[in-house]
Amino acid sequence: MKRDSRRIMDRAFSGVGLFSILVMGLFLLFVLGPIIGRGISAYVFRGTIEHRRFLLENFERGDSSRFEREMQAVREARRPVFRHLREFEAAMDESRELRSEYRRSFRELEEAVHHLIGPDPEDKAPVLVRKKYGATRLDQARTHLFEAMHEERWVPDPDNPGGALIRTHTPRGEHFAGTRLEPLFPYLEEHFEAMLQPGWTFYWRFLTDRSIDSHFFGGIGPEVLGTLYLTLGAMLFAMPMGIIAAIYLCEYARPGRVINLIRTCISTLAGVPSIVFGLFGLAFFLNTLQVTQTKSVLAGSLTLALMILPTVIRASEEAILAVPAAYKEAALSLGAGRWHTICTVILPAALPGILTGVVISMGRAAGETAPIIFTAAVSMGEPLQLFDAFSQPTPALPWNIYNLATEHEAVDQIRHVQYGMVFTLVAIVLILNITAIAIRARISSRLKG
Amino acid sequence: MTRKTMLAVAVLTSAMFACGQDTEKVVIDGSSTVGPIAKAFATYFMAANPDINVTVSESGSGNGAKSMVAGNCDIADMSRAMKPVEFKHAVENDVLPVPHVVALDGIALVTHLSNPVQELSMEQIRDIYLGRIRNWSELGGPARPIVVITRDTNSGTFESFEKLVMGDKKIMSGAEVVGSNGQMRSRVESTPAAIGYVGLGFVEGVRALTIDGVEPTPRAIKTGDYPVARPLFMYTDGYPELGSALYRFVTIYLSSEGQEIVEDLGFVPVTSY
Amino acid sequence: MAVHKSAQRDLTMSRRASRIQRLGRAVGEGFLFLVTSLSMLAVLFIFYYIARDAWPFIRQQGLAEFFGSGEWYPSSEEQPSYGAQAIFFGSAMVTLGSVVVAVPLGIAAAVCLSDVLPFVVRQYVKPVIEILAAIPSVAFGFFALVVFAPILQEQGGPLLALLCWIVFLPVALLGALVLGDVLADRVPGKNRGTRRTVLTSIFGVAGLGLLAWAGSALSGLEVTSGTNALNVSFILGMMALPTIVSVAEDALQATGRELREGSYALGATRAETLCRTIIPAAMSGIVAAVILGIMRVIGETMVVWMASGNTAKIPAPWYDFLEPVRTITASIAGDMGEAARGTMRFHVLFTLALALLVISFVMNLLSQWVVNRQRRKLSGS
Repeated sequence: MKRDSRRIMDRAFSGVGLFSILVMGLFLLFVLGPIIGRGISAYVFRGTIEHRRFLLENFERGDSSRFEREMQAVREARRPVFRHLREFEAAMDESRELRSEYRRSFRELEEAVHHLIGPDPEDKAPVLVRKKYGATRLDQARTHLFEAMHEERWVPDPDNPGGALIRTHTPRGEHFAGTRLEPLFPYLEEHFEAMLQPGWTFYWRFLTDRSIDSHFFGGIGPEVLGTLYLTLGAMLFAMPMGIIAAIYLCEYARPGRVINLIRTCISTLAGVPSIVFGLFGLAFFLNTLQVTQTKSVLAGSLTLALMILPTVIRASEEAILAVPAAYKEAALSLGAGRWHTICTVILPAALPGILTGVVISMGRAAGETAPIIFTAAVSMGEPLQLFDAFSQPTPALPWNIYNLATEHEAVDQIRHVQYGMVFTLVAIVLILNITAIAIRARISSRLKG
Repeated sequence: MTRKTMLAVAVLTSAMFACGQDTEKVVIDGSSTVGPIAKAFATYFMAANPDINVTVSESGSGNGAKSMVAGNCDIADMSRAMKPVEFKHAVENDVLPVPHVVALDGIALVTHLSNPVQELSMEQIRDIYLGRIRNWSELGGPARPIVVITRDTNSGTFESFEKLVMGDKKIMSGAEVVGSNGQMRSRVESTPAAIGYVGLGFVEGVRALTIDGVEPTPRAIKTGDYPVARPLFMYTDGYPELGSALYRFVTIYLSSEGQEIVEDLGFVPVTSY
Repeated sequence: MAVHKSAQRDLTMSRRASRIQRLGRAVGEGFLFLVTSLSMLAVLFIFYYIARDAWPFIRQQGLAEFFGSGEWYPSSEEQPSYGAQAIFFGSAMVTLGSVVVAVPLGIAAAVCLSDVLPFVVRQYVKPVIEILAAIPSVAFGFFALVVFAPILQEQGGPLLALLCWIVFLPVALLGALVLGDVLADRVPGKNRGTRRTVLTSIFGVAGLGLLAWAGSALSGLEVTSGTNALNVSFILGMMALPTIVSVAEDALQATGRELREGSYALGATRAETLCRTIIPAAMSGIVAAVILGIMRVIGETMVVWMASGNTAKIPAPWYDFLEPVRTITASIAGDMGEAARGTMRFHVLFTLALALLVISFVMNLLSQWVVNRQRRKLSGS
């Protein structure tokens, strides 16, 4: 080949490498973009008066006198809407043709209005919490307003008879033209803001509030707490075991068959799929040992601890091996015993490195789902007290993300909660990892002197 | 530094989550169809009894039965009656399952809203799920291969569907499997050529088909005209002691509030106030 | 290590050490050993407990049907069938798909990290890889189900066409260049430059034509369901990347400077050095990296459970990645619910788990063997 072709090949080769790194970076952005963007909106969003009402009534939070003043105006603005609806319903009760023509559309409208501004205060208050309040977020309110204003129908496509139906939206105002309900629609549009009083809300307590009515309202407190318990519990078991094993492997073990076997086992343990850990936790900790009667944080923590043990051992080993030999030799030459040397010289010197590994495996324990499905996770529960934590099951972020995204009865209505959960979990894990990276940076700068 | 931050985090979280002590707990596990009812009851119940912690898991009807027999939960939600095998297994383990029918539920066959097919017969549904009818054009719809979606085998909804619709025939292996009613609903809602089945509380945004000329309405389910309907159960170990927390929980469905919750969730209550 | 040991033993073991001290030390060491052997116990226990619950199925049903048939219907009361072939196939297919995504990208990125990028840039790339490795799988699963599946379903064809262009355009141009270059040397006569240009442009146009055809064929594809093998293959491939990149990069680093410098001294370009010297030298490390990546993919539960469609059927035709599939892990996670303890269904799931465990165990041994072989080779050289 000629030289310039070789040069082009060389460039192309580097290009391929850069391209693949670029792909990785882009994919990361592609994943994190929506998660962060939409996740933050669980914390910061344009909340309506209904959100403030909810907080005041369920968490006794907010300025009640100011709220009362606001609410006064809001009630004024809403009253005509409910009056229109009631009057039209009464008229429908009177006349059969009205009923036959408008019943379905009216029901849809009524439902949309209830979603928008809550139930009519003159009716009996509903039991189900989600029926008590209107839209708490402006984006949802806009959707409900659109549903109230337009009728969605699927009609045959004139260009493609016999084919798929197409969606049409006709303004309800046209449908109800000539009835008493006609003035309602312009009113709804004009007084939309007056009825809901939207304003920017920074709901940081989303992180700590309990959820109310299966995540329609409130926050993700129990899940966050459960994740913390599980993670710390796993650490509590894995850290001492991991560090002791690392000390033994580095300082005491004589090379031989036994140690090779142990090393093989450690790497096997590292390679066991997480779902198998979950089954093992179920079969061993719950069904055989019966550490607790029900699923519990304890069983989950033990399972997770086993799962992260290899990572902790490896990280601790690397950290201990990285301690300069001169330290150890100096301590030994001063007459310190071996154990003494380990405790006073080697471990303190290796501690940052060990912590790095520990923190990273904490991140892994926090994010794993499969091991806790059968051992610890429930889809709903109160935040736990510390001393209950070990005997009771708990909601946890990873499991509840799965649960809300796939098993909830109103998946689409609580997307913001799902994104908020994913965002929170990713944030927890990334904060842990950034901590680890920071520790590592400090170590390397210290080594450079 | 890290130790300090950890300590700070621990102190902060414990401060943030200060709440009452739990003295009693009610642990519920089981069907994802009954899940919403259990969760709504739990919310209602915990508001009235702040000192009782109710936890709800939704791991499938069979799991609920399994975990009650193992003593791992107080209430097993089931969207089908307990099988003889399960009952036998329970009794062998000194557990006497007592059913409480908390609501009735229809299983709606659902399609995408753009699908012009509005009505099917039981025969046609069976043929779709057996893989004999493969294209919507055979049913008067657009020419699209049918995306058949079924539920995972650990769901009571699947078991009821299998029993009520399929009889003794097996659903074809080419059917896509989803894990829950909610997922089924969103899959069908986003897939124009799909057909699936969900509990009646999950039909928003999809089209519930008329079967053999009967629409899946609460009334048709109550009268038994709608062919794919079933009761929903909560099982307890023996009948709970009168007045106990467990007793109060499993009798919520008998109150008018309970009835309202069941109705609002899209199920059919067994009472009529 | 061993050098210190003897040295320090002479230093610390005073002759007059009392028996009690020695006993104490032995007990202490014994305790440490016990704790260390916990991981060994854990592995044994995991194997034992999974196998114990799998055994009744193996004993009663045998494995002929389990491996020999694709009929998976363990829920049936009358005639349950336990053919796990389709499930194994699903796992294999998803693994293959993610290998196709991850291995070329991973190796290219590792090479780039170890030899091409300047140190300053490398410091910024490393955290990206770490973050990618740190994101919990349920977050990827959520992304695959909620964000990626709808995109794939609505824009699947054009998206695939775009991917095809991005990946194969450089390949086509390079191929044209190299072919033109090589053939120009083969054909005798003067005026080599012109010949080369002509040949290159002919090949280039042919390549582009082929690409355009493939692209239009792809963009016409209808994706009936976004939760399919392609979706999870892509996501899992991306998830396996960090593992592959970091392990492969270590292996490339471990080959040392002498090889590189010798190659440059002989006049090779960087690409030639890497392709002909460094990568072959680090081959076993790279193979180990790929194996570890594959293990990560096989053991992944949440992504496949949420976004693979979970169909226990071998797609028709078998290479159709736009069909939903079901993997071993998702079957266990999804089916465990109904499997009452002690029934065949329960045991068949444990049999699946056992198969999974054995697969990962074998792969682990394989990767260790490969790494050890490299270590021996390097220490021997």
